[in-house]
Amino acid sequence: MSLPAAPRRRTKPASDKDDTGRARAADGARSRAIVPVEAPPHPSRKSLRGLDWFVFFVANVQTGFGPFISVYLTSAAWTQVDIGIVLSIGSLVALLGQMPGGAIVDAVPSERLVAAVSVSLIGISALIFALWPIYIAVLGASVLHSAASCVLGPAMAAITLGLVGHGGMSERLGRNARFAAIGNGIAAAAMGACGYWVSNRAVFVVTAVLMVPALFSLAFIRPAEIDPERAHGGQPEQPPVRPLSSLWQPGRIKPLLIFSAAFMLFQLANAAMLPLMGSVLTMRSSRWASVLIAACIVVPQLLVALISPWIGRRAQLVGRRPLLLLGFAVLPIRGVLFAVIHNPEVLVIAQLLDGISGAVFGVLVPLVVADVTRRTGHFNLALGITGTAIGIGASLSTTLAGYVSDHSGSESAFIVLAVIAAAGLACIWAFMPETRPEDQESGIRGQVSEDRASGVRYQRADLTPDR
Amino acid sequence: MHRRGTELRGDMRRHPQWAVATMAVALTILSGEPALARVHHHGHRTIHANPPAQPAPPPTSGMRTSSEPSAPQSVAQGVAGAGKTGVPPSLGVKDAEPVLGKSVHSSTGEDMGRLVDVIVDTDGRPRAAIIDFGGFLGVGSRKIAVDWSVLKFVPGDPKGNVITVALTKDQVKAAPEFKEGSPVVPLGASGSPPPQAAAPPPSAAVAPPAPAAQPRAPAASPAAPAPPSGPAAPPQAPKK
Repeated sequence: MSLPAAPRRRTKPASDKDDTGRARAADGARSRAIVPVEAPPHPSRKSLRGLDWFVFFVANVQTGFGPFISVYLTSAAWTQVDIGIVLSIGSLVALLGQMPGGAIVDAVPSERLVAAVSVSLIGISALIFALWPIYIAVLGASVLHSAASCVLGPAMAAITLGLVGHGGMSERLGRNARFAAIGNGIAAAAMGACGYWVSNRAVFVVTAVLMVPALFSLAFIRPAEIDPERAHGGQPEQPPVRPLSSLWQPGRIKPLLIFSAAFMLFQLANAAMLPLMGSVLTMRSSRWASVLIAACIVVPQLLVALISPWIGRRAQLVGRRPLLLLGFAVLPIRGVLFAVIHNPEVLVIAQLLDGISGAVFGVLVPLVVADVTRRTGHFNLALGITGTAIGIGASLSTTLAGYVSDHSGSESAFIVLAVIAAAGLACIWAFMPETRPEDQESGIRGQVSEDRASGVRYQRADLTPDR
Repeated sequence: MHRRGTELRGDMRRHPQWAVATMAVALTILSGEPALARVHHHGHRTIHANPPAQPAPPPTSGMRTSSEPSAPQSVAQGVAGAGKTGVPPSLGVKDAEPVLGKSVHSSTGEDMGRLVDVIVDTDGRPRAAIIDFGGFLGVGSRKIAVDWSVLKFVPGDPKGNVITVALTKDQVKAAPEFKEGSPVVPLGASGSPPPQAAAPPPSAAVAPPAPAAQPRAPAASPAAPAPPSGPAAPPQAPKK
């Protein structure tokens, strides 16, 4: 497919705008030739429903594995040192596994199979937690869970991309984020209730059982509708000279790294905010602290569920940058509010802002990565790169916030987090290019214009000359 | 929380810590006779110090065991309840119970969190319990040191309220967070966390007079006016 045109364009380290001009100038014939090659995907309703519920149940399953592990192991007479070791090793594996996990998903022919295997492994590790809360078993289960999660995350993104293609990605990711948020919110509430009225162990039994509906909904997604090539970001126009050469070019890797750095700052500021705020709530409001913290966890999820589809549509209409700026701008505001507000009930309202940045995070991370990895075949590896950066930010966050909070109080800690968040905002504002494809580089033009009303505006502007 | 990552270096000490904790609480069945006697001895002293806080298990006169030749390896569960007769040295389920990870309740039945660790001094005497207080699904909980004297133990309690603390949530909430490696400031019976200005009003309901009622304000430094029972810092040593 139109190989001659490709190398010329690739060698230019061009911003998107330049690219657009060049692509338009290049030749309309090239684009026209591509259209029939990549037929617009038409995933069946059944598959899309299956994806809805798969995302929902996976969110359910993953909720059990948060900070709650620490509560459970404590109740199983574990020492704090042991718990610390297990959690540290788990997060280390989760961090180191991101890129290999993405690379695995890029390499396999069936995303569905990989997703099924990793969900099963996560279910098994929940079962081990529930049945044998002894050191070596829990350590193994924790490593197993972290490793499987490294694969499951990219696998879900790949299934999504494989089903709907780049053109439908934006809107579909909004929907994914909605179902994930509903899953998280419901699971947190249900598991809190389960831990309170039944037992902490029961939480992990429930988590393990939830694996079954997750696999069931995965089975609804028709394998034939997931195009593996599309799921990996589309094949390069020419066979790669050396490994990763399709990804490793200035036009792609630079925005990816800027984006990753910005989200590392984002998580460095974000990850500790809720725990620190919870700790402050526990200190200020004795009787209602637990309820308020529960509200702080669940209510933002409801907001995410409400606005993510809108975020997904807007991302296609107005571009990624404005929404990224919105999500990043909300975070420092939240930090400052946490520092100055002392009324516990008002703190919960300020926590609602987390819903906005959460929705932006959930939709735009995979979306922007998909943008910059078009036609590289390395979509999931790139997700792993971003995931690693985010993971580093998250794991340093609580340490940093804890340190500042110990030495100069929680108000200072919130201010420090707010400053870091502002740095992330500045990073996006100053360096991050708009990644919404304005040209038809990936050759999906036919699809976009047919598929999505949301894509019409920019499509019309760009396509008119060609049509 | 990832802050615990720093505790990796404590790996080697895992088992010693267990041993110290359980021994200090004097609720584990130790096979060695001298050890058992020692624990009983200290329990005895503690009782003198804090009459209301330490309901002694029936074999209070623990010295009796040392005069008996006794079956050294008898398993507690096997002879549950037999401890009442005083003959065997074992501790029945009504006499003793492990406490690590058990829920702590206030005297009014409120859930106060879980007992996660025990602070002992150089004599091996329990000085404070670390309680993981509050939070939801592990988010927002705080570790707080509570003076040993305000804890009450009822092994084998049918309702499961094995550990009761003579403090209210309002008294506990503002206590300084316990940090390993820094001086421990246990929350005393008066419910006053020393460094915090916003301390709740002291309730004199349970106020054991002297030694074990922890020093108030100045105890934060190791060189504080040490109560007769010794400084508060040394118990940290075995955890490093």
